[in-house]
Amino acid sequence: MSKVIEVKDLCKTYVVNKKQNNVLKNVNFSIDEGEMLAVMGPSGSGKSTLLYTVSGMDKMTAGEVDFNGKNLSKLSENEMADVRLNEMGFIFQQMYMMKNLSILDNIILPAVKSKKNTESRKETEKRGRSIMHKLGIEDTAENDINEVSGGQLQRACICRSMINNPKVIFADEPTGALNRTSSDEVMNELVDLNKEGTTVMLVTHDVKVAAKCTRVIYIVDGGIQGEYDFQTRYTPEELRLRERNLNNWLMEMGW
Amino acid sequence: MFSRILKNDLKRKKTMNIILMIFVILSVMFASGSINIMISVYGGIDYFLEKAEMSDCVMLTKAPYDNNPAEDYFENATSVTSYSKETIIFYSAKNLFKDSVKYVEFENPGVITSVDDAKINYFDRNNEVITEIEKGHIYLGGILASKEEVQPGDVIELRIENVTLELTVDGFVKDALLGSPFIGNPRMLMNDEDVRTLLASEKIRNLDCGAIFYAYTDDIKLYEKEISDVPNSMFSSDSSILMLTYMIDMLTAALMLIVSICLILIAFAMLSFTIKFTISEDFREIGVMKAIGLKNSSVRGLYMIKYICISSVGAVIGYLLSRPFEDLLLGSITDKIVIGNDNSVATGIITAIAVVLIIVAFCFSCTKAIKKLSPVDAVRNGETGERHHKKSVLRLYKSRLGSNLFLGLNDVVSKPRQYMSMIITFTITLLLIMLLANTANTLASDKLLFLLGTTRSDVYYNSTDKAMEFMGSENEDRFYEIEDEIKQTMADNGMPCDIHEELMYSIPIEFGDFKSNYMMQQCKDTHTTDYVYSSGTAPLYENEIALSTMILDDLGAEIGDTVILTINDERKEFIITASLVTFNQLGKCGRLHESVDIQPNQAASVHPFQINFTDNPDDAEIEARIEKMQEIFGTDKIYDAKDFVDSSTRSAGPIATAKNLVLMITLMIAILITVLMERSFLSKEIGEIALQKAIGFRSSAISTQHTLRFIVVIILSSIIAITLNIPFTKLVSDRIFAIMGATSGIEYKIIPLEVFVLYPVILAAVVGISAFLTSLFARTINADDMGNIE
Repeated sequence: MSKVIEVKDLCKTYVVNKKQNNVLKNVNFSIDEGEMLAVMGPSGSGKSTLLYTVSGMDKMTAGEVDFNGKNLSKLSENEMADVRLNEMGFIFQQMYMMKNLSILDNIILPAVKSKKNTESRKETEKRGRSIMHKLGIEDTAENDINEVSGGQLQRACICRSMINNPKVIFADEPTGALNRTSSDEVMNELVDLNKEGTTVMLVTHDVKVAAKCTRVIYIVDGGIQGEYDFQTRYTPEELRLRERNLNNWLMEMGW
Repeated sequence: MFSRILKNDLKRKKTMNIILMIFVILSVMFASGSINIMISVYGGIDYFLEKAEMSDCVMLTKAPYDNNPAEDYFENATSVTSYSKETIIFYSAKNLFKDSVKYVEFENPGVITSVDDAKINYFDRNNEVITEIEKGHIYLGGILASKEEVQPGDVIELRIENVTLELTVDGFVKDALLGSPFIGNPRMLMNDEDVRTLLASEKIRNLDCGAIFYAYTDDIKLYEKEISDVPNSMFSSDSSILMLTYMIDMLTAALMLIVSICLILIAFAMLSFTIKFTISEDFREIGVMKAIGLKNSSVRGLYMIKYICISSVGAVIGYLLSRPFEDLLLGSITDKIVIGNDNSVATGIITAIAVVLIIVAFCFSCTKAIKKLSPVDAVRNGETGERHHKKSVLRLYKSRLGSNLFLGLNDVVSKPRQYMSMIITFTITLLLIMLLANTANTLASDKLLFLLGTTRSDVYYNSTDKAMEFMGSENEDRFYEIEDEIKQTMADNGMPCDIHEELMYSIPIEFGDFKSNYMMQQCKDTHTTDYVYSSGTAPLYENEIALSTMILDDLGAEIGDTVILTINDERKEFIITASLVTFNQLGKCGRLHESVDIQPNQAASVHPFQINFTDNPDDAEIEARIEKMQEIFGTDKIYDAKDFVDSSTRSAGPIATAKNLVLMITLMIAILITVLMERSFLSKEIGEIALQKAIGFRSSAISTQHTLRFIVVIILSSIIAITLNIPFTKLVSDRIFAIMGATSGIEYKIIPLEVFVLYPVILAAVVGISAFLTSLFARTINADDMGNIE
């Protein structure tokens, strides 16, 4: 498997009130194409910062992130925007969407914006609707964002992240604001997506969510403390076993 | 706790609070400034005439120094309670030199007055009464008071008859009687010894002297009757008519007042936007405060304390700024008039306090929105779960627009209330500029030709010298000889033409007990049917007459009545068949039938010679011929129809200046509003901008999107302004023209390219650039700032 992300000596430092705060300290890891990686760790350990820095949403202080053959630290702001638009997808804990657009318009917006997309507006609409259909929210296409449930909205966010067929989807606690049923539905969509070949990197607190991934890295005080590889892909029948094994490992890590 | 919340709020919401304060400052500045302008303008000319100690009536006469027949009339008139006489010496443009060359052109004779003999108060530019002038020094007034021609400190030469004086210009005089450019007789105020030097010349004493009589009366009608036969009167008026000579200045001030009122409306619209915007931004804080048990009144009180603090500080700054603002708005007028009120400081402070109270009341009403916010808003991100009307109006998938333009347009149509204040503001701004442009263009066009009582001609040739040759001469045929000479000169130079001239006669008119002198117009070479009348039918016979509506008002007569005119010492009856509106003689003029027997040498005033080419040249050729005629006749006072109107009304210039001033002010306001609005949008939309960045929008795309919103607003405003352009122009400018005597029949000259394209494009460019530059702040918002999304 080829590496889609390779992180070398990644550091991120914030200076608050003249006090230096090293959030990430020489982090090294890589993600293979088709992998589904979960980042876990206690609050304040630097999980989200790692996700945002690796995805180029936040600037790194030192180190390198190689994304699909591109060194992100060398890209200009505009080049970085193009990478985010065409090669990355994002899902956030809060279901952030443009308020004045309908659900369908929110979903197709990145495709309309992308210069790589040569489809007509009609074709883009059709594709948007088909992704919505796949995620079971096609009825909400014309709704405003305040007219749908949290679960539906998060699935709409997944649709948006998928619209430009990204190499990697980055998800920051995608089920954090959802109830258990919605959370399961959303995770199942992500797993299906991953099975179809999309690489996923997600941050979570939830063992049930992490158990559906292929690999877990555990981060403490800005450094990777351990790594757990499930060896196999998730199937519903193995969920309990994966959860138990992961729990045991996390206990060892001091979770 | 309140003070702590307040302190934190002031610190944390610095930008919005500063914006709020700027609008308070603007409101106070505009309100305080324009109330003072209103007071100044309302009583403006009255104030000036009062300060100048102007009499009830005034008469300008020409007569030898030692024998002025008018004096007997004033001595004997029972209606005159008292009068004073100011000796004057007449001069003309050809008597003035600078660096040994004639430096100025004007048509009517100017007057020289000794400062010691002054019977009214004359003011310098600092509004100080001029009581002393050094020997060899001079103050210039009226149309001579132009810094383009001469600067204080310059030396000019006065050559009258055989006397030459070198005079240093000390400054410019504000002259209540002759200061208006509409009067056209510029006054020079000099040292008494210098005047005596001139009067030592017998030629001057006999040929160039005269006097101005300032009379007080309790019965204007009787006064007019008693002095109607003064033989050497050049101009006679009561002070109410004198006020009309300042109409252009009043007009400019009135326009400034309209501008100020519009600016106050704009400031309030912006204030409303800012307050509502702040409250909508604070939904979470307000929700939390309510959740922990604070009552509506307490939350509202918190905001009110903040607004009172901001309003008070803003009021002080606004008041201080209102003074230079007043000066800026009234600058063009105060050069000629002592305008203002003695209580302006008190008025300004009272206005500022009143504005603070209004703003606080206004804020109180705007904070009603707090009542609507509930604790649920704090936990549900401003959404109560209720199904409101749809926010998204347009559909991206149905649209052919690019994403930036779509997002900009969709934002405006989805949140029309948010953009309403901006649309109103830009519409008002455009309407103001369009109004002034239409008025200035109309005044500088040939559309007003009918108001000057003339027919359309190819060329208008104004020659005071030629007029002086036949006016008052013994030779009754001299007028026709001059016409023939001009015609021959033109033919000799390859410009065959017909020629005619409008002549004005000063004729006493009686109706019942009323008797007064009025100017009657006649042209022997045209027909009365060639002119425009506001009602009735043109005089068709010798005993028929058309009178202006203002004369009819004076007389108390109407169409169908019979009036008596004294022509050639003979009293004749005339039937009024029509009324007309006119700019001539400040609206008091009539028209005699062409067959009425009156000789051109009796004319008291003339219009230019009107030339119509008989070989049908095109416009370019006429233009070329005008230049050729200027060379042949050695004068630049040869005009086409529109320049003739402009030179007669002398108002297009001041209105155009006012337009440019308003354009500047409104553009500055537009820039300010754009920057403040865009800054507000950016602070409110940090989350959405961060989201766009996260999904791959470049900063430039976000700036373009934000700029396009403003362009969409300008386009909407332009459409509204263009639709309202004609009704708004008619609503305001009809009144302006009515002041000038034209109560009806005005057809406006609208230049579509200037009014409908140029000004909207200028505004769009200024607003677009301001919005774009401000939106560059979006570059500082990062993709991970989404926590601010609401």
